[in-house]
Amino acid sequence: MAFYKLLWRYLAALGIVIAAAVVLHLITQPSGIHLTEAELAVESTVGYQPPPAMVDPAALAGPWAPVALPNAAMPKLALSQQGIGREPDTQVTWYRATLPLAVSPADKGYLYIPRWKSDGTLAVYIDGRLQYQSHANLQWNGSNRPLRIALDVTEGVAPFSSIVIRLQHVRGIGGALSSLWVGNFDEVGPAYMVRNFFAAELSYLTGAAFLASGVFSLLVWFGRRQERLYLLFFLMSAATFIRGLHNHLGLERLPIDDQWFGWLTVNSTMWMVAVSHLFLISVLHVRARWITAIVGGATLAMGLATLPLLEGALDPTLTAPFAYAAAFIVCNLVGISSIRAAWRQRSMEGLVLAVWVLLTAYLGINELLLQNNLISIEGYFILPFVQVALVFAFFHIVMARYLKAMDTIEQSNALLGEQLAAREAELVASHERVREVEQRELLFHERQRLTEDMHDGLGSSLLGALRMVERGRLDEAELKQILQGCIDDLKLTIDSLEPVETDLLLLLGTLRFRLEPRLESTGIKLNWNVRDVPPVSWLDHRYALHILRVVQEAFTNIIKHAGATEATVSTGVVAGDIVVSVADNGKGFDTTAPRTGRGLANQTRRASAMRAKLTVESGPTGTKLTLLLPIRQLGEGVAAQ
Amino acid sequence: MATGSVPLKVMVVEDDQSFRGSFTAAIAAAEDMHLHAVAENVAQAMALLDGPAADILVVDLGLPDGSGIEVIRAAHGAWPECGIMVSTTFADDRHVIPSIEAGAAGYLLKDSSQSRMADDIRTLHSGGSPISPRIARKILMRFMPPNRLPVANRQPILSPREQQALELITKGFSYDEIAELMGVTRNTVMTFVRRIYQKLEVSSKAEAIFEARSHGLL
Repeated sequence: MAFYKLLWRYLAALGIVIAAAVVLHLITQPSGIHLTEAELAVESTVGYQPPPAMVDPAALAGPWAPVALPNAAMPKLALSQQGIGREPDTQVTWYRATLPLAVSPADKGYLYIPRWKSDGTLAVYIDGRLQYQSHANLQWNGSNRPLRIALDVTEGVAPFSSIVIRLQHVRGIGGALSSLWVGNFDEVGPAYMVRNFFAAELSYLTGAAFLASGVFSLLVWFGRRQERLYLLFFLMSAATFIRGLHNHLGLERLPIDDQWFGWLTVNSTMWMVAVSHLFLISVLHVRARWITAIVGGATLAMGLATLPLLEGALDPTLTAPFAYAAAFIVCNLVGISSIRAAWRQRSMEGLVLAVWVLLTAYLGINELLLQNNLISIEGYFILPFVQVALVFAFFHIVMARYLKAMDTIEQSNALLGEQLAAREAELVASHERVREVEQRELLFHERQRLTEDMHDGLGSSLLGALRMVERGRLDEAELKQILQGCIDDLKLTIDSLEPVETDLLLLLGTLRFRLEPRLESTGIKLNWNVRDVPPVSWLDHRYALHILRVVQEAFTNIIKHAGATEATVSTGVVAGDIVVSVADNGKGFDTTAPRTGRGLANQTRRASAMRAKLTVESGPTGTKLTLLLPIRQLGEGVAAQ
Repeated sequence: MATGSVPLKVMVVEDDQSFRGSFTAAIAAAEDMHLHAVAENVAQAMALLDGPAADILVVDLGLPDGSGIEVIRAAHGAWPECGIMVSTTFADDRHVIPSIEAGAAGYLLKDSSQSRMADDIRTLHSGGSPISPRIARKILMRFMPPNRLPVANRQPILSPREQQALELITKGFSYDEIAELMGVTRNTVMTFVRRIYQKLEVSSKAEAIFEARSHGLL
């Protein structure tokens, strides 16, 4: 299963990181002079006093007791109040250590203290002179940060052998010191850096990275309010960041007082547990009302009880052990219930997260022991590291959601695209079919038209010529005229294939272009008397050929029979009709005589096919053929030819 | 016309023997013309182009070994002074316009009488080009402004007078009638048409360059 593969990959990465950290620790072990023994003296005080500038190590009041370093007193769990206006009960704890041999700061210039705890102030004396003094809050003073004190190297500096450390802290809690190292930079520098990184900076870096992704998640949530997980992810990152602050802050004085900082630090533990719970039930889609109520109630109660605004509120720092114990219990509750829900649903990511939450509760025991000096204070707090892994678990879940959402969008887009393409293809296919049908129809009509035309024109002319040749009644001039006529016919047929675009004058102009040489050769003068006419919307190939044939026939008659010297073609518009007329000044003919029949009959047939009116007037001064074309056709009925 | 000066040197490229016959007869009949050379196909015509130039070249388009368009284009380059005519039965724009774009100045109708052919050749030589209404319409559409925008800066455009002449041609008016309508001489109208043909040739070249450029060939 992909999930296990991923889990193993995560665990393998985790293992590599841990191994690298351990190796780094081992190769940066401090060297130089290691002081693991000292003498301890304690004196009770009230409030905090500044440390003296000089002490005489030998003359300090005792009684001195030898102790092994690291040394820590068992803290008393007391809820004693340090009310406003009342100085707290404090104590000064003196540690006095002596180097086996005096060394010069010029050779061994650094004092490295891996860990110290004061809940108060710290002062370090080298050969009785104050060398270093803490300038921090009393309670939250960066006890997680190792100290690397650079010793003053002055002209003719004397070797030293005595180190005295003064801690002033709340009586009963605090006051602990790790072993001490004296060495040059190479001996203690790397160890300090590595410890500082792991104890303080790592949690800061991961917290900040987590918070940045949390802000991104929050912006996602602004856009998609129904996806609560994105909001919870942000809240988790914020709580984790706040919780991590005490790990790296504190060497400098804080801008807020100890009560508020303590409130944030201690309560954020509970917030993390609460948000983890909400996140888990959201991932697992369970309601878990009781547990939610308990978690919410505990978080709220703890937050309110330690809120420094109220008179008589509990000091969050002093009550931290109780708060952590409460968090431990709630965390168990959340972890176990979520593991059950996740197991029932076979939700692997939910299970891993729940197990991890539960694990933090038990790893918290280490923190409790370390905090209460029950184990060597030189150890590490583990939870910051565990939280790094937890951050990745959250990352994984939210990113998986995010990626899944993106995938879904892509898939639905692809699906839409496919559907659209299919529709388009259908449309194209049906268009294609319609066009095919139209094309076939067009071809059919065109073929019909040409066949008819060939039959009436070219065919009958050639046939007539053939008959006359057969009867031997054809001389060369006649044959030439017939053939010329056939060629003209053919030219007009070809012209009728060209688009005319409703332009009647272009059609007539083409006709003139074709027929004028013949008129000229017979000595007939052609007057071109055309006026512009409106576009003829119905003028397609069929009708164009009809018009050409009607006018051609008129010309033929003029050439053959009229004996005219002039012919006039004119166009114009009369009462909504376009008028085309061909007139000559010939001898005219009897329009009722049967022998003029065939040509006129053809003309009339063609005219009626166009719903045009054809009139022929003839008299002794000439003949005039007039064609009245409607500007607009009625469409139906005309097509049926 | 026949002033007794140097006769016109006419060359014909034609694969059809009967037309070749009637054409050479027409030239022989004209005193002012002299048959310069005869080619039956593209190869022969191309070979002749290396020789002395003719005054008039009459080319058929459907040649056995290629298109007469190639001959027209080559002749237009080799003999810039030569008047080139495409010989055609129907003078349809599908044949005539590509010929003009290749450099022809006119066409010769194959079914014309011999004397008419000679007349057409003389007219062309003296600077007049024939044109049909349909070809005029095609040229008008070709120079219509909206379609020409992309290459406008390289495109020759028709002058208003040329445009007017073309429009009258599409309506079937003859050169004489147009001359009268426009208040110019017949010669002027004929030079309009010749100029329009030259512009058509230039514009087709510009278009070819534009096409090539937009296809990344230049």
